[in-house]
Amino acid sequence: MAIDEISNRKRFLAGDNVYLPHIAVIEKIIEETPDTRTFHFSFKDEKLRREFSFESGQFGEFSIFGVGEAPFCISSSPTRCDHLEFAVKRVGRVTSALHRLGAGAEIGFRGPYGNGFPLGYLEGKNLVFIAGGIGLAPLRSLIWNVLDKRDKYRKIDIIYGARSPADLCFTYDLDSWKQDKTVNMVTTVDKGDDSWTGREGFVPQVLEQLAPSAKEAVAVVCGPPVMIRFTFPVLAKLGFTPGQMITTLEKRMKCGIGKCGRCNIGDIYVCRDGPVFSYAQIRDFISSEY
Amino acid sequence: MTVKKIAKKELARLLDEWSRQFSVLVPSVETGVAQMTGWQGEDTSFVDWYRNTILPPKDAILPVMEEMFSFSKNEDGYRLEMSPPDSGRQLIFGIRPCDARALAMLDVVFKQDYEDTYYMRRRLNTVLVGIGCTNPYDSCFCTSLSSGPSDTAGLDLMLTDIGDEFVIEAVTEAGRELLDKSQGMRPATADDEARARESRDIANQRVTQNVDVKKMPDRLLAAFDNEEYWRKIAAKCISCGICTLLCPTCYCFDINDEVSDNRGARYRSLDSCAFCIYTKMPVENPREEKWQRVRNRVCHKYEFYPRLFDTIACTGCGRCIRLCPVNWDITRTLNSIPGQ
Ligand code: SF4
Ligand code: SF4
Ligand code: FES
Repeated sequence: MAIDEISNRKRFLAGDNVYLPHIAVIEKIIEETPDTRTFHFSFKDEKLRREFSFESGQFGEFSIFGVGEAPFCISSSPTRCDHLEFAVKRVGRVTSALHRLGAGAEIGFRGPYGNGFPLGYLEGKNLVFIAGGIGLAPLRSLIWNVLDKRDKYRKIDIIYGARSPADLCFTYDLDSWKQDKTVNMVTTVDKGDDSWTGREGFVPQVLEQLAPSAKEAVAVVCGPPVMIRFTFPVLAKLGFTPGQMITTLEKRMKCGIGKCGRCNIGDIYVCRDGPVFSYAQIRDFISSEY
Repeated sequence: MTVKKIAKKELARLLDEWSRQFSVLVPSVETGVAQMTGWQGEDTSFVDWYRNTILPPKDAILPVMEEMFSFSKNEDGYRLEMSPPDSGRQLIFGIRPCDARALAMLDVVFKQDYEDTYYMRRRLNTVLVGIGCTNPYDSCFCTSLSSGPSDTAGLDLMLTDIGDEFVIEAVTEAGRELLDKSQGMRPATADDEARARESRDIANQRVTQNVDVKKMPDRLLAAFDNEEYWRKIAAKCISCGICTLLCPTCYCFDINDEVSDNRGARYRSLDSCAFCIYTKMPVENPREEKWQRVRNRVCHKYEFYPRLFDTIACTGCGRCIRLCPVNWDITRTLNSIPGQ
């Protein structure tokens, strides 16, 4: 298995009860796109604020009291711990309620859960980050993590795409990565508008044109399921082995800790065994229900 | 371990005695649906009519719905308060061997990795006193699953009906202690134990339904992608979820908030993999189709759970067969897996 390093999964339980959330305060809200917002938050409890740690790729169960819980990955990097961030696309009940919150509002947080990206495995490699839409949220945590320890890694390519220029998230990050001489950053949109001077085309096509070398490289792919489905074959064509392709899977996760049952793919529980998997693992799943 | 006996007419007194230490639950049809409810005194007639409850006893440990914590808001923000357990020590009297075994299967899930506070606080406060079955249903198939009407796995005490008396056997240390402290127990004679054995043998023979579970995980694995088979199997299921809600080994749950009269609380309630929304995400649903959900239910019990925990997560209690409104029958599925 490519991912041999399972994160050590630090635990931060409130009152010894895994279901009891910590109270966190929203400090800042960034309007990423018309339907996506980033929330900066910090724990109310000072000790937890100091001690909390997590790994890129891990997620939490976020809640609004009276509305309910939903899982989101932590989109900030563990290397920048003065506050935490998560990004939310407005798609349902809980996400709409989150979008109605203002700075100062209190939310609940349980976590971090899941395995996180295999940093040890990425060390010393050429990295190709491929993301679509809000899929950049888990990946930007990893990208900043890697950039903050830049000398541990080799060449870095980032390919990011969205439906339209207005759908590009984290444009402030895109700008700084574009300026970073140690990063090869490519942004693309499915369809540009009048003012768009950048690249047009779907992420898998752009990947094929750029053709990053598979030699001593790892590709990390996050985005909508269709994008991932079309990206893997392109990577394979470029010579990436299934073990060199890493992604995160999305499921409706309620408990986050392997109990409520709904996130399974056969005997794999995405909340506990994932959400980060290599394609080598995914290929061996009993079920194709992902 | 210790073996004793008690006369059936002493039973009410014994339950009264245990009620001083425990909330004692016994089988009852008070609500119209056979289930475990609080011992009211006197009436032990369930011993004669009771074959098994409709609602599984898991309800006493993993309730259909439970409050996890409440929340309130003041100038300083939110305050959360863990909801107190609704019962102290409890004793489930008359639980059937299959249902005790089922709890042992749930224990594994709720204990592993992160311990489930709510499940564990009830479970650790629960004593299980089983009565071996004498009159199993036609739909019971526990003997196919290396269990049977006299299986003691998961129980603290096991009672065997020998006519006017029960032979009582301590299975765990906790069971032995309880037995030693209880009044009105007499030592079981060799003759009593022989009668108990005979009673068990007869009961075992009465379980006639059979499923072939040999090489089960692998055989199911081979049929996993046989969509045609699963579509055929699932055709008449109406996705009502009764089989899962009544199954003693099903544990899927949902977490939701409710607010009323200035008081809010987070609840856990049972959920079902038979429901389409169970896995539904805003854009995708990995088990949108009924056949995928039926497959998940069967395979969770007979393939996924065994892969993770080395036991088939079905006790053969037969509830899902007896109580399905369209007569969907898991034994027929298991006995018709292609390629056997
Ligand atoms: S009880 Fe019967 S109809 Fe209802 S979900 Fe189960 S198998 Fe389907
Ligand atoms: S699947 Fe059916 S027979 Fe098996 S334990 Fe559940 S209800 Fe009983
Ligand atoms: S989210 Fe509950 S089991 Fe994975």
